[in-house]
Amino acid sequence: MGRYIARRIAQFIPVFLGVTLILFFITTVLPGDPVAVRAGTKPLSPAVYKSLRHAYGLDKPWYVQYVDYLGSLSPVRYSPKSGLRFPGPDLGVSISYGRPVIAMFEETFPYTAELAFAAIAVEIVIGIGVGIVAAVKQFSIWDTFATLSTSILVALPVFWLGVMLQYLFGILLQQWTGGIFYLPIAGASGPPFADWQYLILPAVTLASVSTAYAARIMRSQLLEVGGQDYVRTAQAKGLSPSAVLWGHEMKNALIPVVTFIGLDLGAMLSGAILTETVFNWPGIGNMIYQAIGRRDYPVIFGGVSLILFIVLVVNLLVDISYAFLDPRIRLGSKVEG
Amino acid sequence: MSTPRFRSVIVLAAVMVLAVGVLGAVGCMPKAATTSSSSSTPVKGGTLSYYIGEPAAIDPYNAQETEGVQVVHQLFRSLTDFDDYDATKLVPAAASTWTVNADATVWTFHLNPADKFSDGNTVTAQDFIYAWNRIANPNTVNTATKKADPSQISYHLAFVRGTDDYGNAPKGISGLKALDANTLQVTLKAPFAEFDYVVAHPGLAPVEKSLVEGGVDYNGSKVAFGEMPVGNGPFKMSQPWKHNQYIKVVASDTYYGAKPYLAGVNFMEYKDPDTAYLAFQSGALDFSQIGTGKIKDAESKYGDSADGYTSNPGKQVLLGAENSVYYLLINNKISVLNNLKFREALSLAINRQAICDTIFQGSRQPADNIVPPGIAGYQPGAWQYAKYDVAAAEKALADAGYPGGKGAPQITLAYNADGGHQPIMELVQADLTKIGLKVKLNPFADFPTYLKALTAKNFMVGRLGWVADYPIIDDFMNPLFRTTSSNNYFVFPNKTFDAEIDAARKMTDPTQRLAAYQALDKQIGDQVPVIPLMFYKHHHVVSSRVHNFIFSSMYLADLSKCWISK
Repeated sequence: MGRYIARRIAQFIPVFLGVTLILFFITTVLPGDPVAVRAGTKPLSPAVYKSLRHAYGLDKPWYVQYVDYLGSLSPVRYSPKSGLRFPGPDLGVSISYGRPVIAMFEETFPYTAELAFAAIAVEIVIGIGVGIVAAVKQFSIWDTFATLSTSILVALPVFWLGVMLQYLFGILLQQWTGGIFYLPIAGASGPPFADWQYLILPAVTLASVSTAYAARIMRSQLLEVGGQDYVRTAQAKGLSPSAVLWGHEMKNALIPVVTFIGLDLGAMLSGAILTETVFNWPGIGNMIYQAIGRRDYPVIFGGVSLILFIVLVVNLLVDISYAFLDPRIRLGSKVEG
Repeated sequence: MSTPRFRSVIVLAAVMVLAVGVLGAVGCMPKAATTSSSSSTPVKGGTLSYYIGEPAAIDPYNAQETEGVQVVHQLFRSLTDFDDYDATKLVPAAASTWTVNADATVWTFHLNPADKFSDGNTVTAQDFIYAWNRIANPNTVNTATKKADPSQISYHLAFVRGTDDYGNAPKGISGLKALDANTLQVTLKAPFAEFDYVVAHPGLAPVEKSLVEGGVDYNGSKVAFGEMPVGNGPFKMSQPWKHNQYIKVVASDTYYGAKPYLAGVNFMEYKDPDTAYLAFQSGALDFSQIGTGKIKDAESKYGDSADGYTSNPGKQVLLGAENSVYYLLINNKISVLNNLKFREALSLAINRQAICDTIFQGSRQPADNIVPPGIAGYQPGAWQYAKYDVAAAEKALADAGYPGGKGAPQITLAYNADGGHQPIMELVQADLTKIGLKVKLNPFADFPTYLKALTAKNFMVGRLGWVADYPIIDDFMNPLFRTTSSNNYFVFPNKTFDAEIDAARKMTDPTQRLAAYQALDKQIGDQVPVIPLMFYKHHHVVSSRVHNFIFSSMYLADLSKCWISK
C-alpha cells in the first residue's frame, strides 16, 4: 500500500507538467493582452504598457514564462545571498488587481471548500439514502417517488433551480410568513442571518444533479449486487436482511458511488461557476472564470495548479478507498499466477 | 386498517411536512419591517446597503471603472466636484475657489483650510502634487507587492506641463507648484478652459505619502493603502476591503462639508446584477440594478423617480440618461466605407427605437448625437443622419452608387460575443438587409480578442461604448475624433477637426466656447465617422426606506445627502 501511494504521488509530477505545459501554451497563444484589457477603451500609455509587461514577465518568450511559473510553484527558494529558504509557493501577482494570487486564493478557497463539503454531505446523505430505500423497497411508492424525483432533478438546469429556490425561500416565504421565516439568497455572511444559513440554498443547488445521479447509481448497484452468489450465500447462512445489506451488499455496491462522489468532490473543489454566480458565493470558480476573460495569467495558472493538485489528491483517495470497500482489490500488489 | 402502501403515503407526507418545517426553522427572524416615514425631515443614523461589482481598485490612483470610482468618490474629494443635481455644473470641493489666467494655461486652486483627511491631517497642496506624480509615474511600485503597478489613468494629466501625450512624467510633473500649503498652481501645456472639470475626477484626489508608502494602521497592524485608503471625503473605511464580499464605510467626522445623515454604507459586491435584484427584493439591498427584463415590473411596484436621478419613497426607479453612448465604429480605410453617402445610408437604416424597446425595454434611449443629453451643450438631433429613415437610407445608398444595395460588398459586423451584443447586432443586420445590403455577423470570442482586432483595424463595422470622464463636449470630440487619439479605431483623419478642438479649448468665455463645441459636434456628425446607436440610462432602484438618494448622470451617487427613515 505504501509503495502504491508513493508511486501514485510520483506520477503526479509528469501529469502536472504535461497538463500545465499544454495549458500554458494554449493560453499564451490566445489573442488578447492582459495589460491592454486592463485599460479597456481608455488611452493606454506606451510607457505604462511597457512597465507592466516587464513587471509581469510578459515580454519574455512563453517557455521562459513557463519556467518562471514552475519556479513560482516551488515552496523552496535559493539565492547565494540569503541561502535556502522555505517561503512556500508564490504564484505571483494578479495583473488585473495587482494583488498576490496566494492572498486571493486564501480569501476564496475556504468558501469553495465549505460549499463543496456541504454539497457532498447532501449528496451522501440524501443520494445514498434515497438509493438504498429505492432498492430495498423496489417497485414501492418510495421507489417510484425516487425514480421520478431524480429524473426531474437531473433535467433541471442548475441556474434555473438556483433562481427558483431563491425566489421561493428568499422572497415568497418571507411574504407568506410576514417576514418571520426566510433564507438568505446571496452572499456568505452578515446579519440578520448566521453564516451557516447562507450555505443552505447554494449547497442544495450545487448538490441537486449529483444527488440524483448518486441515488440512481446506488439503487441500480444494490439491485445488481443483490442477485450475486455471495449475497445469496449470506442469506442462506441465515443472516438478517439488514446484516446482509450493510455487511455484504453495501461494500460492493458502494464502489461506483464512491468513485462518482469522489470525482464530484474534485469537481466541486475546483469551483462551481454557475452556483457561485447565482448565489453570489465568493468562491474560486467565478474568480478563475473572470481571470480567463481578462487574461489574468497569474490567477489562471495559480488556479489551474490548485485545481490539478486537488483533483489528483482526491482521485488518489478514491482509489485507496476501494481497498477498504472491496477485499478483492489489493492496491499495488503483484498478481500472483 | 391501513395497507402498507397507505402507510407509506402517510410517512412520505409527514417527511415532506417535516422538511418544509426544518427549512422554515433555519430561516430567521429579520429586523422588524420598517415603514417609510412620510416626513421629509432628515433622520440621522442607519446603514445603507449599496449594490456594487468588485472594483478593480479603490485607491484613487487607479480609479478607472464605475465601481472603483463610486467608492473613491465616497472616500475622497478632488479639487472640484460635479453638482449632484446638474452634473454639467461644478461646485467647490477640496478647493474652495480657483482662478485661471487669460489664456487658460495657468490654474490656481485655493484649498479649503478646513479640509482634513479622516486621520485628522490637513489636506495640503503637497498631497495633491504627491498624488498626481504617483499617477503620472509609469514605474510607480505597488507598496504591498513591490511590483511595478503604474496607474492607468495618467491620461487625465496629459494637459499638464511636463507630462507626455499620455500624462506620464517619470521624473515628476514640472507643471505643478505649491505656492503655499493651501495653494496649488497648475500650468498646462496648452490652453484648456475646462480644466476645472478634469480635476473633479475622483481619481485625482489627494493622498498622504506616509500612508501610501507606510501602510494604514488597523487594529494595531499595518494594512496596504489600497486595501483601506484614507481620504478626505464624507465617509471613511471602517475595516479593510473584504474582497469579493463587501467594502464597509462609516461617516467621517473630519469631513469639511455637511456631515452625512447615514451612519455608514455597506458596498455589497455582487457578481451578477440579476442576483442583486433578487437580493434587493428580499430586502438585503437598498440600491440595486434592475434585473434583466424587469424594468416595467419595477416601475409598477416601486414607482418612477420624478427626475430619473433622485429617489424618494414611492418614486424609487431611476431611469435618467447617463453620460455614455453606444456606437458603431466604421473602418474608414475600407473603400466602400470611405464613401460618405454609404455611411449615411448605414446610419439612416437602423431603427434605434426598436433596439431600445425590444432588447432593453426602455433602459436605453436612441442616440441622435454622439454627445449624450447629460452633457452641457447637448443638441437634440445634431447628427442629422443619426435617425431612422428607410426612404432616405435607400436614396443615400443609390447616391453612393449602390441602388438597392446592388454591387455593394458584403458588410461584416464585428463585436465581442461575451457582452450581450449579439441581439443588437442581429437587429442592425436585419435593418441593413432591408435596404438591400448583404450583412454578416463577425463575433469575436471575448473582449480581449475583439480589442486586438480593433487595434489591428481588422474589422469593417464594429461596436464600442464610450463613458465620459467629464461632462463636457470636449470629452467626446477629443478622445474619439482627434487624429492621434488611441480611441480613433475608425481611422478618421481630419486635421481641421484637430485644429478646431484646439481653438475651442482656448476660449475662456463659456458661451463662446460652448457654441464652438456645438458647431464642431454638428460638423463631425455630418461626416458620419461613427454611428451613434443608443444612450445608456440608469436602470436602478432604491428601497422605500431611503430618502433623497441622488445618482447623477455621471454615475456618481452622493450618499452624504440621503437618509433612512426609522
